[in-house]
Amino acid sequence: MSGEKNTNVPVRDLSVKQGFKLSKFLVSWEMVLIYILLLINVVLMVSRTNLYFSPGTIQAIIQSGMDVCPLVLGMILILMLGDIDVSVASTMIFASMATGLCCQAGMSAFVGVIVGIAAGALCGLFNGYFVAYVEMPAVIVTIATSMLFRGIVKIILDVNVLKQFPSFYTTVAWTNIAGIPLSLILFLVMGAVFVFLLQKSRFGRKLYIIGNNATCAQYSGIDVRKTKLIVFVLMGVMCGVASIFFVGRMGGSVSSTMGTGYEMTAIAICVLGGVSTNGGKGKVYGPIIATLIMAFLTYTLGLLEVDANTRKIVTGFILIIAVLIPNVNRQLIANLKLKFVYKGNKNVEALNIKTAAEVKALKATIDETKKDSAMNDADKSAKIKKCEDKIAALQKKCKEQTEIWLREQKEDERKAKERFAAK
Amino acid sequence: MRTNNKSTLSKITESRNFGLVLGLIVLLIVAAIITPSMYSLNSILNMLQNNAVYGLLAIGEMMVIITAGIDISIGATLSLTGVICCRLMAENPGVPGIVWLVLSLVIGALCGAFNGLLVGYFKMVPMIATLGTMYIFRGFSFLFSGGEWWFPHQFTEGYMAFATKKILGIPSILWILIIVFVLAILFLGYTSKGRRIYAIGTNQESAQVAGIKQPRVVFLAMTLCGMLAGLSGMLYTANYATCSYMIGDAYEMTAIAICILGGVSIVGGKGKVDGVIIGFLMMSVITYFISLLPGLSVWSDAIQGAIIIAAVALNKFTERSAEKRALKERSALI
Repeated sequence: MSGEKNTNVPVRDLSVKQGFKLSKFLVSWEMVLIYILLLINVVLMVSRTNLYFSPGTIQAIIQSGMDVCPLVLGMILILMLGDIDVSVASTMIFASMATGLCCQAGMSAFVGVIVGIAAGALCGLFNGYFVAYVEMPAVIVTIATSMLFRGIVKIILDVNVLKQFPSFYTTVAWTNIAGIPLSLILFLVMGAVFVFLLQKSRFGRKLYIIGNNATCAQYSGIDVRKTKLIVFVLMGVMCGVASIFFVGRMGGSVSSTMGTGYEMTAIAICVLGGVSTNGGKGKVYGPIIATLIMAFLTYTLGLLEVDANTRKIVTGFILIIAVLIPNVNRQLIANLKLKFVYKGNKNVEALNIKTAAEVKALKATIDETKKDSAMNDADKSAKIKKCEDKIAALQKKCKEQTEIWLREQKEDERKAKERFAAK
Repeated sequence: MRTNNKSTLSKITESRNFGLVLGLIVLLIVAAIITPSMYSLNSILNMLQNNAVYGLLAIGEMMVIITAGIDISIGATLSLTGVICCRLMAENPGVPGIVWLVLSLVIGALCGAFNGLLVGYFKMVPMIATLGTMYIFRGFSFLFSGGEWWFPHQFTEGYMAFATKKILGIPSILWILIIVFVLAILFLGYTSKGRRIYAIGTNQESAQVAGIKQPRVVFLAMTLCGMLAGLSGMLYTANYATCSYMIGDAYEMTAIAICILGGVSIVGGKGKVDGVIIGFLMMSVITYFISLLPGLSVWSDAIQGAIIIAAVALNKFTERSAEKRALKERSALI
């Protein structure tokens, strides 16, 4: 880059320095997720105390949720671009099948794993080529390829079950090291790599730019197509990695109908973790915590004897609410107020806001006068009285004006209707 | 400006539907050679009858896709409506069938309205919103069914008549399908509300500047889509006279596939009912063809996936070549 060559040219400092604010940190989305996680833990602890404190329960819960974790990490990157990938479950099964077939043919475990990951990458490449270079919408491509990949698995396996897998698969999914599940450790290591990749590396920052505005990214010299292709291949690789977790979790066997719905879980976790599906927004920490939340939630609901389909309803509502929460802000409330209180009349809205601000200022003056020790009581009460009168006058004026404007609006509407009726 | 001095013949050959019809004819010939039994009026009617539900779903899905959205909850809506109608029908066998038809429309419209509320008024991404509602509707479908199945002896005559009763030799489900096709052509082509759906899909901002309320139009489109999904839920159960909460799994994918085959642009604004009708015919022939050949059933998923990709890629390439041609024409004028 040219900036690196002539380093003695003074560069304008463009970095934005934000101080650490505790109040802001405590209400950030990641912290909210941690609160939810704690809340679920407390619910579980209170309702099933014996079980909660018996050894192995927490580990089992965490292990139960870890089979989607590589998919979640890959999905963050895809969503960051503003795309979506619903073929991940099929790709995962495809990769598992590749590994299984290799192992069945008597190849070593190492070759099997490599072939599995390569198969995943190949599927990713297929998706990526159509999304990036043929410029087809990601939803359609991946819906089609999810059918295609699973269809291929169905053709090859039919109703058979592959049972020969490297022995470390089950180790990954089921063992604990010093009381911590191995899968969780691997997940956190992978998570750390992704944090670095997305938040610290040049490649990751490109994704944010593309997600925010692809055209802008193109003009600022980023090869959008290539980046998209790389991300989709990366997703495929993560699907290959996920096949290790998944097959291990399933006890070392694979059939063509396994793992349906995993793509939806992965997307739901990402969305819950604060990754925007419009692209360009989100961090890796959120989905990592959300993965744990999902594991605890499913397990807790299961222990509370909620059946699988009610759990589905709960997952759906959580997904929708998680996406809706950022929408509930001041603008929305203001819009609703404009619509229902002020009947859509912007003049009335402006007048009311202005009056409210003036009244607030006057009230502040009253408070100041009350605290003011320099004045005597008579002066004080006189000043307060004056201010209060002013407030009353303002409010009265505002009300009258509002009524006039609303009446005018009604009159206009009536006239418009008459005019249309006459035609 | 577009030049209008082309001959009618070249216009026909250049249109997308021409390619589709050609493909359909080739497919029919291939099918005829491999399985001659396909060509009797009865088997063709049978084929259309069993696939009619996809046609209904595709019309609804088309309206949503034209607004630049997508609805992947229609399979779940179908399941929910089917289960509710079947359960109530089995419990009250005396009620006339038309009640269930109306009920299915109402339930479907409610499901669609919920989607429309989320997408239109709360500005959620359609994919995510309907993903969530898909979970919710499926879950409710199971709750209402209680895991039960309904079998032919529980179905009343009046209920099944809406799908299987033959009027002029054609099953009534096909008459309903034809009516929906005609209504859709009229609605999308000749009413202001229908044209607004296209306007929103083509360019949202300019539509808004022109005074079209985007939330309202999206809400309308999604409600109609849900309504058709509800209707198809009732008709599906009436046609097969069996019902469980598992029906309609991945039907949204087939509906989307039909839309794409029929030339509906997934980025919105483009798509016509006649294209969807041809897409529907093609898809029915393909699925019927696969089901006729022994040992091909495991291939159906892979074939469907490959067809969708090929169709969209074809769409893209024809669009590109059309753009190039338009560019050439323009540069020739200069």
